[in-house]
Amino acid sequence: MSSARVTPDQPGERVGATTKNQVQATLSDTRGFRNQLRAWLENHRASCVDSTSRLVRQPLGSFFTCLVMAVALSLPMGLALLLENVSQLGGSWQRAAQISLFLELDAGDTYGELLRDKIAEHEHVAEAQWISREQALTEFQEQSGLGEALRELPDNPLPGSILVTPEVIDKDALVALLDELKNMPKVQQAQLDLMWIERLAAILQMGEQFIFGLSVLLIAALLLVVGNTIRLHIENRRTEIEVIKLVGGTDGYVRRPFLYMGVLYGLVGGVMAWLLLAYGLNWLNDSVVQLAQLYGSEFSLSGVPIEDGFSLLLGAVLLGYIGAWLAVARHLRELSPR
Amino acid sequence: MIRFEQVAKRYPNGHVGLHELSFRVRRGEFLFVTGHSGAGKSTMLRLLLAMERPSAGKLLLAGQDLATITNSQIPFLRRQIGVVFQNHQLLFDRSVFANVALPLQILGLPQDEINQRVSLALERVSLKDKALQAPTDLSTGQQQRVGIARAIVHQPALLLADEPTGNLDPRLAAEIMSVFEDINQLGTTVLIASHDLALIARMRHRMLTLQRGRLIGDGEAV
Ligand SMILES: Nc1ncnc2c1ncn2[C@@H]1O[C@H](COP(=O)(O)OP(=O)(O)O)[C@@H](O)[C@H]1O
Ligand SMILES: [Mg+2]
Repeated sequence: MSSARVTPDQPGERVGATTKNQVQATLSDTRGFRNQLRAWLENHRASCVDSTSRLVRQPLGSFFTCLVMAVALSLPMGLALLLENVSQLGGSWQRAAQISLFLELDAGDTYGELLRDKIAEHEHVAEAQWISREQALTEFQEQSGLGEALRELPDNPLPGSILVTPEVIDKDALVALLDELKNMPKVQQAQLDLMWIERLAAILQMGEQFIFGLSVLLIAALLLVVGNTIRLHIENRRTEIEVIKLVGGTDGYVRRPFLYMGVLYGLVGGVMAWLLLAYGLNWLNDSVVQLAQLYGSEFSLSGVPIEDGFSLLLGAVLLGYIGAWLAVARHLRELSPR
Repeated sequence: MIRFEQVAKRYPNGHVGLHELSFRVRRGEFLFVTGHSGAGKSTMLRLLLAMERPSAGKLLLAGQDLATITNSQIPFLRRQIGVVFQNHQLLFDRSVFANVALPLQILGLPQDEINQRVSLALERVSLKDKALQAPTDLSTGQQQRVGIARAIVHQPALLLADEPTGNLDPRLAAEIMSVFEDINQLGTTVLIASHDLALIARMRHRMLTLQRGRLIGDGEAV
């Protein structure tokens, strides 16, 4: 029937002036802050549920994506934690970084003790110990096994010395301290064994650089993995995306389920990484403790600190989100009508 | 409702979709656009959906110029339009009901209102009893009707259809056309691109005839 077809095109009747509102006025009123908020929340809830169920419906694929993420995350994190443990170990070795100050032979016990007290007050000194000439000789006799022979000597050839345990581990500060001590009156010689400190510092720094480089690589790999997985999801849902855009879905609406997927991958990957780290460190700790005991040390690895665990989770979620966002931004444009 | 003023569409590869086309469509009209394959029918619909932008001229849809519409306004424009394709574009991973509900979910309507409106739309195309079936369980004609239900469920001001009966036998085609007429009776402006002249002639509506991007006829089909 054509009776209804020609109606005058009255200006007031036009829909266009405020495009957003007019159509929706024919549906239930979706304007107003509360309704918009409810619609927005409802969209998010639906996206989240939908994305979760999609991932659950492909358990194996999702699991492996998350596993790859977990490995990529736990590797640098685990190394960083080990390094932190080792540098704390360095802290306990600090006692071994000692400066020996050998005094001139005519410095007596009174002077030696005075100097020791003065040095002990130095801000960079943890401890100072006076070793008199007699003590030095006795120790030497005991250690060398030359006791009887040495007793025959007319004079004690050994000087008195002060054993200084520095407070700091920093190499420059140590050298400065050494200089300062060397120039004190009646100090003939000052010895500092820096080798191990230099080595440890070098190893720690190298370790840090290595971990940094590894992290950059693995983060890039991780973004690629998430991005590629999301790209596959996008391609599988090509028709759906086209239809959604044609019936008025915004870019945000199209993007949302994929972003949720990225976040979910990140979350699960992060939890798995945390578990991997916790179990890994625990497993490693058994042998570390045994090894340390052989050297008479109480050293053991600490687990994953809770703050680091949460940082890991947050980082994982963020990376999942960013990876998804990159994939979505790249592929949606070429895939559907604007 | 629709106003083409010297609208031209040239594709980047040099093909010309439309040559300076001018016409108007009033609110509530029912019209066909016909012409041979390659005449520019689909181009015209894509312009109306803002899938393409005019290369020249002024194209007003409900007062809004589609030559200058911003990308962020496009989704809101499309919410006033329903589209039906020849290849219906149904999603086979979900039920008939879920397919039809999609435009309403995008609007974020509450679930009970979605249920109500989807039932209504399915009733209009006589598929109410198929709501929970998968689209694959339906015949081609039924699938096309699901596509129509999805296009009208949000009560668009304008319904566009590109060769909606292209795959159907004449009896089914006539059935689909009568569904469009019913929808038009309720006030929706309907624009159908089709080259099925026999079918169009029987329906006695306004008909625009395109030939190589130019309008060569505007009047009731005979
Ligand atoms: N995406 C496109 N890119 C380039 N040329 C196109 C595109 N779409 C259509 N055309 C050209 O525009 C003209 C009109 O096509 P179309 O609108 O699809 O016609 P119809 O739908 O009437 O068959 C044709 O010459 C076609 O080659
Ligand atoms: Mg066509």
